[in-house]
Amino acid sequence: MFKLNLKIALRNLLKNKVYAIINIGGLALGLTAFVLMLLYINHEESYDTWSQDLKNVYQIRERHSFFTPDNKEYWQDLSNSRVAGIIKSNVPQFKAITKIDKEWGNGFSVKINKNEPVLIKSIKDADSAFFHVFPYKFIKGNSEIALKEPNSVVLKQSLATKLYHTTDVIGKAFRLVRWLGDKGIPLKITGVVEDVNTPESVVFNAISHTGDQDHDPTDPGNSHYGEIYAKSESLLDTTLLNKNLQKVYVDFKKKSFSEQKLNFKEVYADGKMPGLKAITLKSVHLNPPFATNWIEKIKPVIGISVFLLLVSIINFVNLSTAQSVQRAKEVGVKKVLGSYKKQLLTQFLLESAAQGVIALFLSIILVEMLIPAFNHQFDVKLSFWQSEQLLTIFSELLLVFVLITLLAGFYPAWVLSGYNPISVLKGNYENGLKGIALRNVLVVFQFVISVTFIIAIGVMEMQSRYMNNKDLGFERDKVINLKTGYEENFVKRIKQIPGVKYVSTTTQVMGNAFNTSTKITFKGNDIELNRVSVTMDALQTLGVKVLSGRLFSKEYKQDTVNSVVLNEAAANLLGKNLVGQSYGFKSYDNKIISFQIVGIIKNYHNEGFDKTVLPTVYKVSNLGGSANTNNLLIRFDTDNYNGILKNIETEWKSLYPDFPMQYESLDDAFSQILLEHKRFVNMIILFSVISVSLSLLGLFALSTFVAKRRTKEIAVRKVLGASNIQIVNMLNKSFLILVMVANLISWPIAYIIVKKWLDGFAYRIEMPVLPFIVATIISVAVAVLTVSLQARKAAVSDPVNALKYE
Amino acid sequence: MIKIENLEKVYKTEEVETTALNGINLYVKEGEFVSIMGPSGCGKSTLLNVMGLLDKPESGSYKFIDTELLTLNDRERSNFRKRNMGFVFQNFNLIDELTVFENIELPLIYNKVPTGERKKLVNEIIERMNIVNRSGHFPQQLSGGQQQRVAVARALVTKPKLVLADEPTGNLDSSHGNEVMELLCELNETGTTIVMVTHSSHDASFSNRIINLKDGHVISEKINKSRNEELI
Ligand SMILES: Nc1ncnc2c1ncn2[C@@H]1O[C@H](COP(=O)(O)OP(=O)(O)OP(=O)(O)O)[C@@H](O)[C@H]1O
Ligand SMILES: [Mg+2]
Repeated sequence: MFKLNLKIALRNLLKNKVYAIINIGGLALGLTAFVLMLLYINHEESYDTWSQDLKNVYQIRERHSFFTPDNKEYWQDLSNSRVAGIIKSNVPQFKAITKIDKEWGNGFSVKINKNEPVLIKSIKDADSAFFHVFPYKFIKGNSEIALKEPNSVVLKQSLATKLYHTTDVIGKAFRLVRWLGDKGIPLKITGVVEDVNTPESVVFNAISHTGDQDHDPTDPGNSHYGEIYAKSESLLDTTLLNKNLQKVYVDFKKKSFSEQKLNFKEVYADGKMPGLKAITLKSVHLNPPFATNWIEKIKPVIGISVFLLLVSIINFVNLSTAQSVQRAKEVGVKKVLGSYKKQLLTQFLLESAAQGVIALFLSIILVEMLIPAFNHQFDVKLSFWQSEQLLTIFSELLLVFVLITLLAGFYPAWVLSGYNPISVLKGNYENGLKGIALRNVLVVFQFVISVTFIIAIGVMEMQSRYMNNKDLGFERDKVINLKTGYEENFVKRIKQIPGVKYVSTTTQVMGNAFNTSTKITFKGNDIELNRVSVTMDALQTLGVKVLSGRLFSKEYKQDTVNSVVLNEAAANLLGKNLVGQSYGFKSYDNKIISFQIVGIIKNYHNEGFDKTVLPTVYKVSNLGGSANTNNLLIRFDTDNYNGILKNIETEWKSLYPDFPMQYESLDDAFSQILLEHKRFVNMIILFSVISVSLSLLGLFALSTFVAKRRTKEIAVRKVLGASNIQIVNMLNKSFLILVMVANLISWPIAYIIVKKWLDGFAYRIEMPVLPFIVATIISVAVAVLTVSLQARKAAVSDPVNALKYE
Repeated sequence: MIKIENLEKVYKTEEVETTALNGINLYVKEGEFVSIMGPSGCGKSTLLNVMGLLDKPESGSYKFIDTELLTLNDRERSNFRKRNMGFVFQNFNLIDELTVFENIELPLIYNKVPTGERKKLVNEIIERMNIVNRSGHFPQQLSGGQQQRVAVARALVTKPKLVLADEPTGNLDSSHGNEVMELLCELNETGTTIVMVTHSSHDASFSNRIINLKDGHVISEKINKSRNEELI
């Protein structure tokens, strides 16, 4: 039986090749998007799963006590270093506790002998217990003693090979220079651990033990904050544990306050009590202390990919039921010969399953092909065959497969197996028409999705173009940002390099906003402004546009004292004709200092377009010396500044031989700001392409089928004198109505969605009409083209052939 | 073998109710070859479908040997049908995706006949039907007469007690039609009971008895003497 049914299925597929390809291909497309999403979810879920022992590792979190605008409760992953000590003496369940310093800067400089320094990220300083908590596998050295001595360091295998081209590095030494001007710490390598192949929350290239984490600050008023991890011998009851931690912590706070002669009740008068808790390492990744977690972030993507899978399943259902008429006779005959309905149901379900299997394999091939581009585009490291979770993925795929088989196969199977043998054998396929209304609804549904996508792409494209071309209020080319402070000696040297036009620094740089506010009094009004300190040349370096007045200049003595420049936003708050006027500022000893406004500049964007430019006052101050801004802006007078950069680097090396030079162009920095936006747009484009192709495939196959089913009608009409064009039009009409209905439905839907998206931008285009019109034209044109292709074929065929068989 | 009493079948569509069978009383003896004749629309096919358990009448009784068939549920009807009945249709109704051999094999599969025996039975009947060199062909590659012979072969391969044929020669020219009729006669001579609907008195002349329907009634019955004498 099975063999025969298989034969029937295969012969049917071969007979309707186009249909089969579309049906299976469509499903494969829908599955591909879904599988990619599954891979991504699996990847995120695989955080901190590289060892079974990590089940018993906990991260300590302290309640965040600072003011946050949204007034929500936050638990930060940085805790007072003293917490480690009190846990050690009060929570005996924890067998090992380690403190890790937070990572700061852009990486540390590793200096091996007299070699060039190399910048290495994620070299973290810990106490000696790190490897007692985190069970990394030592390739060289021993976890018990590796970090025992101060000034020891354990490298990841990958870093060892990067630095030394070998893992035989025990006993070798290097100097770790943590910031510019740091004299450096000599470190001796005492171990090499294996890289793990699933992502980690505690990322590191090397763990150093400098000894800094071994002691808490002596003054009870001073605190040192870092990450604390603890390991228990067995799984703990976290509710119980956290109750204990909370009590221990409050006691500690009370004691510490009385040492500092502070009143505990007064400090916590607002009711926000200090808090301490432990969360499992496994849950760390899902619960970032401040950011939205990944599930929230990708929810829209999950939605869309489920939607696409649904669309492709709908296609499948649609095409299968449409096609089922061709199987009607088979069903009739089999029933007459004594087949049960259940047998037929099973047969058709199995057929769907077989197609599902093929689709699944195709989608796996597609996924394999797409992964590199996907990883690049979304900055992740997904893999399929190499994945650690291959087994999980396969079991998930099996589930998906069963689900799509049931979803896609059940309805067609039900329709088919329900055919009444008498009527089908009489040549009456009325049953086959039953699904028409449903199929129309499904076609409309698909087109609604596609048209919505096309509109969304259009609007997004226009917003992107707007942002790329928008006047930023400064000239972003020919400027680089060197990661260093304003060090007079260095600045003097590079100012002499030919081609360097300005060198300056400011407290506010692209994409890195540290806003400090200042309250001023102007004409009796108190106004709050954002304050930015700059060096004399900074505004010139940025190339801001002067609206009235002037920028700071050496020629004016008072510019280093009490001159200010406002941006347009601030000027709008203050009034008109501001240049030359003064405002007052109350200093910390309650004296009123007067500042004169010397110029007004056009707003310049130092952040993305989702944020408004704050009303800002710019003031010259001495940012050299200890005021480390860590960004040195350099403007060149040519676009071709690679040669000049070389010269700057030479100066750098002679002054700072221990720390590599880092820089980025403002152009890149700005693109970086737009990157997230661009990624999102690209993803929507990807999904749209899939969705639109699915809809078209569906329409193509459905029109093929309709043309075929109406062959006889077409033949009769032609015999009666209808022209080919008339017949093509006739077939087109029914589909056009569907596509138009879909357009009407999708306009308001698209409007609402796109409006919401646009509202996320402080600087945005007006809701454009063009994408709506274009989407409609595209959908209609493509639908007409698709249907006509089929209709023409049916129309030009010889009517005699069609009639002969009846 | 068959005893039908007061059979009534009404087709209800949105506007009209058609009484296709209006109190039919009928018997068929074992080994008999009965023809059903009558004007178009008088209910011949409907009667045959009811007899073949493909359709359910509103009321009446249908006894096959001693079993009442109208009270069976769907599954029992399927089972009874596949064990005891064979069908031949006017428009052949072969499955296009299966070869001649496979088409004939199908009912045996539903009757759970083991593979070895299946092959033997199919080959036997193919030989008897004189379509040996066509066994690997698909229905579309055969002439109408050949297709109908395959259909007859398919109806016979399970050695059913009753063969129901609805205008088996309707789509065939007279010489092919005669071939099929001769096949049915041969079959009848080996003991199979046959009920055939036909418009052709020529075809009807092959049978033992002719039943005339009109407006869902049996209006007359005629014993075909020549054929019966032949039999004796
Ligand atoms: N599915 C149906 N729905 C409604 N009425 C039907 C249906 N099938 C048959 N009928 C009606 O029942 C009556 C008997 O039909 P039936 O097919 O039995 O006639 P017939 O004697 O076989 O005619 P023909 O010689 O043309 O094949 C006819 O009036 C027909 O219109
Ligand atoms: Mg009939």
